[in-house]
Amino acid sequence: MSIVKDIPSAKKPLKRAYVGIFLWFTGRAIQAAAKVDKEVKKEFDNLPDDFTFSLGCLPNGPWMVIGKRNGAVKYLGGNPSQHKVHVRLAIKSVDAAFLILSFQESTALATARNRLITDGEVPYALAVIRILDIVEVYLLPKIIAGLAVKRYPKQWSAGRKLGGRIGIYARTILGI
Amino acid sequence: MLLPDYYEFCCRVKIVAGHDALEKIPELLTERGAKRPLIITDKGVASAGLIDIVSAAQKDRLFADLIADNVPPDSDLRVVNQLAKLYKENDCDAIIAVGGGSVMDTAKGVNIVVSENAEDLMAFSGVGALKRPLKPLIAVPTTAGTGSEVTQVAVIKDHEKHLKMAFGSYFLLPDISVLDSRMTMTMPPLITAMTGMDALSHAVEAYYCLQKNPLSDAHSLAAVRMIYHYLPIVAENPSDRNARLSMAVGACLAGIAFSNSMVGLVHNLGHATGSVCGVPHGICMAIMLPYGLEYNMHKREEAIAGLLLPMAGEAIYRETPPAQRADKVVSLIRQLNADLNTITGGRHARFFKEVKDREGKPLVPREVLPQIARAALSDGASIYNPEDTDYEDNLMVLEAAWEGIPLDRNKIKRG
Amino acid sequence: MNSVPVFAFTCPVKTNSGNKALEHLPVELAGLNACRPLIITSAKAVGRKAVRTLQNAFGDSGMTLGLFDGVTKTADLGLIEHLKNICLEKKYDAIIALGGYDIVDAAKVLNLAVSLDTADAHKLSPETPVRRHLSPLVVVPTAAASGLETSKFAHFSRRIYSSEYLAPNLVVIDPRLTRAADGKTIAATGLAALGRAAESHISADANPFRDAYSFAAIRFVKENLPAAVIKPADKKASLAILNAASMSGCAASDANSARLHKLGQVFYEMQHIPQGVIMGMCLPHVLGDYLQEGINDLASLLLPLVGEDEFSRTPAAKRADAALAVLGRFLADLYGALGKDLPRNLREAGVPGYIMEDILDVLDKDNEGPYLRTVVERIAE
Ligand SMILES: [Fe+2]
Repeated sequence: MSIVKDIPSAKKPLKRAYVGIFLWFTGRAIQAAAKVDKEVKKEFDNLPDDFTFSLGCLPNGPWMVIGKRNGAVKYLGGNPSQHKVHVRLAIKSVDAAFLILSFQESTALATARNRLITDGEVPYALAVIRILDIVEVYLLPKIIAGLAVKRYPKQWSAGRKLGGRIGIYARTILGI
Repeated sequence: MLLPDYYEFCCRVKIVAGHDALEKIPELLTERGAKRPLIITDKGVASAGLIDIVSAAQKDRLFADLIADNVPPDSDLRVVNQLAKLYKENDCDAIIAVGGGSVMDTAKGVNIVVSENAEDLMAFSGVGALKRPLKPLIAVPTTAGTGSEVTQVAVIKDHEKHLKMAFGSYFLLPDISVLDSRMTMTMPPLITAMTGMDALSHAVEAYYCLQKNPLSDAHSLAAVRMIYHYLPIVAENPSDRNARLSMAVGACLAGIAFSNSMVGLVHNLGHATGSVCGVPHGICMAIMLPYGLEYNMHKREEAIAGLLLPMAGEAIYRETPPAQRADKVVSLIRQLNADLNTITGGRHARFFKEVKDREGKPLVPREVLPQIARAALSDGASIYNPEDTDYEDNLMVLEAAWEGIPLDRNKIKRG
Repeated sequence: MNSVPVFAFTCPVKTNSGNKALEHLPVELAGLNACRPLIITSAKAVGRKAVRTLQNAFGDSGMTLGLFDGVTKTADLGLIEHLKNICLEKKYDAIIALGGYDIVDAAKVLNLAVSLDTADAHKLSPETPVRRHLSPLVVVPTAAASGLETSKFAHFSRRIYSSEYLAPNLVVIDPRLTRAADGKTIAATGLAALGRAAESHISADANPFRDAYSFAAIRFVKENLPAAVIKPADKKASLAILNAASMSGCAASDANSARLHKLGQVFYEMQHIPQGVIMGMCLPHVLGDYLQEGINDLASLLLPLVGEDEFSRTPAAKRADAALAVLGRFLADLYGALGKDLPRNLREAGVPGYIMEDILDVLDKDNEGPYLRTVVERIAE
């Protein structure tokens, strides 16, 4: 017998599932926010017509893909290889994604901590990050979103926050 | 000292520094098994006589036909491919890049083409497309500022297709950076001042930006100490070789710090001002630096206060009450700009309304500030700034920097 | 006239430190063009749990890992030859050394054999020329580290290999692996880091690039070792100490002389005493002697030892002595906290007389032999 053993790497089904579900949820929420929130809509309006971006984990996923199709923002599923992606936000591992998506680490901090690799044209990537920040503020209670973004927007009117939040939640769950 | 929950740090570049560091190049090449280096530079560097100094230091290693001085001010894919051809046809086995940012970018591009036998450079653009070490690259910076001798990025423009290709990889780090006082000795005071302020802005921004970590901090502090002390000295006495060498070392330390901790608002608005108005990068840095500190003060007061000792020394540190140390840092940087302004006979600009072109026409008219504020939203440096910035924030900071008045910190939006 | 001699510095090591650092390994390896790493470790030294933690970090990567967990202190070039052949046959394309000391030394020499395609590893020697990058080598330190893991040196089979290319490409410091089983282990790691960092600053010409590493290391040890010793399971403190160890190795690659190191090394090789234990005993003596000789400056060490406020309150002329005094108190507190667990002299360390003779024989062969002897005499009781 050789003194060197070969060990296949294990699997992490639970973390993968959580990350997968969260990515799906965020994807749907972005689709909804593009209809409900003026700023998100404006960001998307400034992007090219077939603009597509992906967010997910290295080396083997999961991923989610968002794209502008015929003027509407759509959640395009979990397979980036089927699309020409303009911006790719890749988290270095499923475990790092779990930290970020379970709000133990904000997106700004994850970038600061080198866990997030951004690939693509910088102005587009920045637009995507701004969109994600706004959506995080909508989706999360203040105490958690306050951790997730650099500056929690307290100047938003209560109406924008509440109305927007309900609208986005409803659309996310219904997928409209 | 704070240990972040997670951090990464990397600077694999071998630094060789001294008044006659260039003389070490033949030995360094031998250590890497290289015999025929291609020297890449630009006309300005060559006509300043700097290539003669580099050549003389090569002794029997010199191949006069292997000096290419046609790098344009803006990196160009055509030149990259042409130099790669020259490299291959002459069986070169290393590259010596002598110059500033554009020369370094071009040399890195050439290195990708010759090492990977790349037909299409585009295939290697983006982050992490390079997977293995390239040919030996020796960087010889000729300004004490950009830090590009220790950065892992390169930008090459394809002027025919109007494409800008960005490359990011640790394999793009030069193998060796040679810092020799003779390379910066002839820089005139105004250029010395602005490139020096660029270096200082790297050290300072690295010390407050989001990716700061114990190793980037250590490099920042050492850089701040050297640059703050020696910049006025070299601006006043351009031929002080010890001060020149210290500036080169300080700028390199600052380059290592910021390529790991990144840069923020100062570079964010500085890049935008540069692209909208054509103001040289170093001038933008000098003007913006106090404002970057003020804007981020509420999030980074302790870090900023930590810059006081390396800048001002023990006596002033002792005399300044802890609560005022951060403010003191800001005022010392404003004072440094004022001193440089005096030394250069008023040519070193302290605020944007002072920036003029050769004919004396203002380069940054007040009306373009909104355009700059908008352009800054598309610049990547905003990601690493501690506090968020939007269009209105940018405009507020730009207006203060135009007028030359301190930022009203009560007006800064907080979360 | 050249008032400043040409100086050089290089640290080829990338540092990844902190929470979930191990989980980034598959991506880091991919960036180095590697997908089939071989883990070199000693299950006995690092424990099965540490090996499992490292394996689990590759979960979801789809990679297959090789594992050799039998490195011992007696590892020789015969083992390297054997492992080299396995590496070539099974096409491993990177080495991950899990642990410290001999484990990393063996991994460095194995990397040399594999990368240079040495026909027979028995022929490797410190004289073997190395002129190019070797295969990717990653070091994942555990609590017991000498600090030299990140350096360009490998001490293997009583010989010292030295080349920039021997240093690892990456060090991954993960808090799950840096917690120590006891206070003595982490104290030894911290003292070795402190000794190496201080000595690399004092023994060589001024070099701000190297000092960035040595000053940060000193500061981390000073601020965190007392906590790490009292609570070896404290994640933050032990992570800081292993950061310091890693930085001290980067600085040590550039040290001119290594009196502390030589003393630590000989007692480690002959009597298996962790290097930091001996380096701690010798530290005040060796630094005091440097001070007497007027080599470089001890005064500037006061800043990382006490911080800005106390440093700027201390008059310049008194800083060197103050630094020595602070170090003395720091060591005394450590000895006080650990009691018998951390020997303060060779008698407490229980070095038998016949081994002492062997040790002195080895030291006598060194060019600084007579000096090193005087230090050994001073730490005897
Ligand atoms: Fe800059």
